[in-house]
Amino acid sequence: MTSHSSRTVARFAVVLVLSAVSTACGGGGGGPRPVPDVAFCQEVMPKVEAYVARARAENPTPDDPRYGGTAVVGTIGEMADGMNVAVSSDYSARQHQQFVNLMTLIDYDESVAPRPYLAESWEVAEDNSSVTFHLRRDVYWHDGEQTDAHDVAFTYTTVTNPETAFPNAAFWNHYVEGEAGVEIIDDFTVRIGMEPHSEFLDPFSSVAILPEHLLGDVPSAELREHPYGMQCPVGNGPFVFWSHSPQERWVFEANPGFPQALGGRPFLDRYVYRIVPDPTTLLAELLTQNIDVYVTPPPDQAQRIIDDPNVDLRRFPFRNYVMVGWNARRPQLADARVRRAITMGTDRESIVQALLQGYGTVADGSVPPFHWAYDPDVEGLSYDPEGARALLEEAGWADRDGDGVREDANGDLLSISIKYNTGNQQRQDIAEIMQAQLSEVGIDVVPQVVDWATLLQQINTPDLRDFDGVVIAWVAEFRLDDLDLFHSERIDQPFAWSGTRNPEMDRLLVELGRTVDRSEARSLWSEYQKVLIEEQPYTFFYFPDRLDGVSRRLQGVEMDARGEWVNVKDWYLDPASR
Amino acid sequence: MGRYVLRRLAGAVPLVVGIATLIFFLVHLAPGSPVDLIIGPGVTREFRTQMIETYGWDLPLPVQYVKWLSAMLTGDFGYSFSQTRPVRDVLLGYLPNTVVLSLAALTVAFFFGIVLGTVQAIRQYSLLDSGLSVVLLFFYSMPSFWLALMLILTMSLTLGWFPVSGTVSTDHEFLGLGARIVDRARHLALPTLSLALVLTAGIARYMRASMLEVVRQDYVRTAHAKGLPERVVVFKHALRNALIPVVTLVGLYLPFLFSGTVFIETIFAWPGMGRAIVNAIGQRDYPLVMAGSFFFAMMVVLANLLADILYAVVDPRIRYE
Repeated sequence: MTSHSSRTVARFAVVLVLSAVSTACGGGGGGPRPVPDVAFCQEVMPKVEAYVARARAENPTPDDPRYGGTAVVGTIGEMADGMNVAVSSDYSARQHQQFVNLMTLIDYDESVAPRPYLAESWEVAEDNSSVTFHLRRDVYWHDGEQTDAHDVAFTYTTVTNPETAFPNAAFWNHYVEGEAGVEIIDDFTVRIGMEPHSEFLDPFSSVAILPEHLLGDVPSAELREHPYGMQCPVGNGPFVFWSHSPQERWVFEANPGFPQALGGRPFLDRYVYRIVPDPTTLLAELLTQNIDVYVTPPPDQAQRIIDDPNVDLRRFPFRNYVMVGWNARRPQLADARVRRAITMGTDRESIVQALLQGYGTVADGSVPPFHWAYDPDVEGLSYDPEGARALLEEAGWADRDGDGVREDANGDLLSISIKYNTGNQQRQDIAEIMQAQLSEVGIDVVPQVVDWATLLQQINTPDLRDFDGVVIAWVAEFRLDDLDLFHSERIDQPFAWSGTRNPEMDRLLVELGRTVDRSEARSLWSEYQKVLIEEQPYTFFYFPDRLDGVSRRLQGVEMDARGEWVNVKDWYLDPASR
Repeated sequence: MGRYVLRRLAGAVPLVVGIATLIFFLVHLAPGSPVDLIIGPGVTREFRTQMIETYGWDLPLPVQYVKWLSAMLTGDFGYSFSQTRPVRDVLLGYLPNTVVLSLAALTVAFFFGIVLGTVQAIRQYSLLDSGLSVVLLFFYSMPSFWLALMLILTMSLTLGWFPVSGTVSTDHEFLGLGARIVDRARHLALPTLSLALVLTAGIARYMRASMLEVVRQDYVRTAHAKGLPERVVVFKHALRNALIPVVTLVGLYLPFLFSGTVFIETIFAWPGMGRAIVNAIGQRDYPLVMAGSFFFAMMVVLANLLADILYAVVDPRIRYE
């Protein structure tokens, strides 16, 4: 080898570095929007480009200092399945479908009362057997096609088709599924069939409408893999999709053609959803004003956010609850008295204080305290180790050999494992605190950590149910429906974790689903909450408050139980800060 | 030389296939399935079964293995269902970010490692040598994720010199070409430093030891004796020979950088291969996990080959024919 060839190698390395840098630069795209190299995207994105240009020419931006600028939201995770309404279950993704890129038929106001959105009005058949929606005539897909009744019918048949595997299939329990359930009356009027039931508008506030002219030919089973969701969604909402770099960011731009009657174009020119997987980094990004909203910081970062003069901490009650689900198929957990004793032997109030620093409320059931169905007069089980011991004695569990752990008459130990998923400190703390507190009443608890995919398989597989207790959480819709969780006929379905059978509970669950009138439903809900406390299929822990860090330069931000993005089209940047 | 490279590559084929096989069975033997991550409340048991059949996860493992291997040999890495794109596109999307970060870290680490190690060796036992040793050992003992957080705290939060995270700033698309390159470089600085500081310390220690050995050789003494200036002796006569053991480190560090930067990618929100594969494991995205692991195995093989070729470059005594 000579020095000549060594130079060649060196030059090769330089070329490699340069080419790597330039490919990386190409990804961002300046000027024209970047179009993924996929036939579908190549076809639709130029139309989107043309639509935006045309709409911008037709609707000049009003002369108001609030228009303009870019706001950035930072969160820990990617929006799984993106704008693919048919298959996505991710919270952020669904929020963006509802409020950013697409439109729902109706939406909710601050008091969670339905109000017109894509549907300008609706009427219900006298016998409550159908609901008819009248659509707005000024809504256009971002490729220029008008949104009409065919899109609604297509979306409805798609999400109710079992082949699609719509993740919230429980939405359609009381609707006539498939093509039989939807009738196009004219281009802007569509009727959906159902059996009379409570809160029947709720799914239409949550499931956004998809474009029939783009996806109508795709077989339902193939929608999951269609590039529409993650690579080039074409919506009809206030923001037009611009680009998506996986695990990095989504960029949206204002839709200049958004109906004037709904407020016209959003104030922001661009809206960016950034994925920053580390909470410490997210906090640093918020404090250095690189992001304007930090979605759900952990409670231990709350004080740091409050102390900073440039950012505010938003706090609101939300729809999710953390609980320990019990497997009543296990002999030691089959008796409701044992499950009640476990709850009474656990000091949930002090756990909320310690783990959430007070940002949360102890839960006694699945109905969130802010919800109209919540009955504050129903008294939950309070921390009572004496009472727990008495209940366990009554159920036949006594410490017969003096080792500190109770046994039944056959000498089987009252020993339960509690599983939780890897990397979730709060859930680990819950399992460990329960271990300490329940040893005081003679119950042996073994915390066990399992990775998320494995855990789901162990608890969801009907023939497996390989767990005693599991620390986990649910996010409820505004229409509460626990049928899939607790009804004894659903016991072989994936989410019947507890496997409890209670005729009173069955009766209430069915009746609650059918009761249309809220005042009538209230007393049923109150009864239901009492039965839940009696039965204790779960030890309910808490409703955590939802926390968000919001920069003061971002104004007009409303956040409540409807979600972080509920009024994103009204957000604007303080003109003085730009 | 060319034949040698070809022979080495051919020898790597059974190795890579063996690794791929091992990965396939390990991934499939792990409990948990992607179905449970996809479905939500109300999905019936029948549907769950149907979905498993659609993706072919009900077939016996050997059958799945043969299907996967034959597809892969024809260049079809499969479909990543967690990202709803072909695996090839997923990997190609992350690769540039990983390559840029790895090469930047490697370049910085070797440059400073070699310079500092050489300086320490020729000023052995001086105050400078001891001082550098203390500083380098400090960085060598730091976990890189801690170092990363400290760099963010000082360089971004307090001093505001560099952006906290990400690969580009929000207004990147609107910048001119020059400003865009500067923007990229500024975002690259902290992750590169976090990775490179630890490596630099290691390389400098190796370099110092190797240089100390070489400067005691007869030919170096001869060079001194015939009155050559210090600079010429060190850089022309000693350095090249002292580099030989250090070159081995390229083969070790390159695959480490390509695969082992998950913490750094997470802290700096850097969308690279490491994070992609770890996410894929969590979601049991079998095709992506297997293709990614396969890629890493290839990297190890290639990096070792590269190290062997570099030996020949720095050591005139080594020839491959």
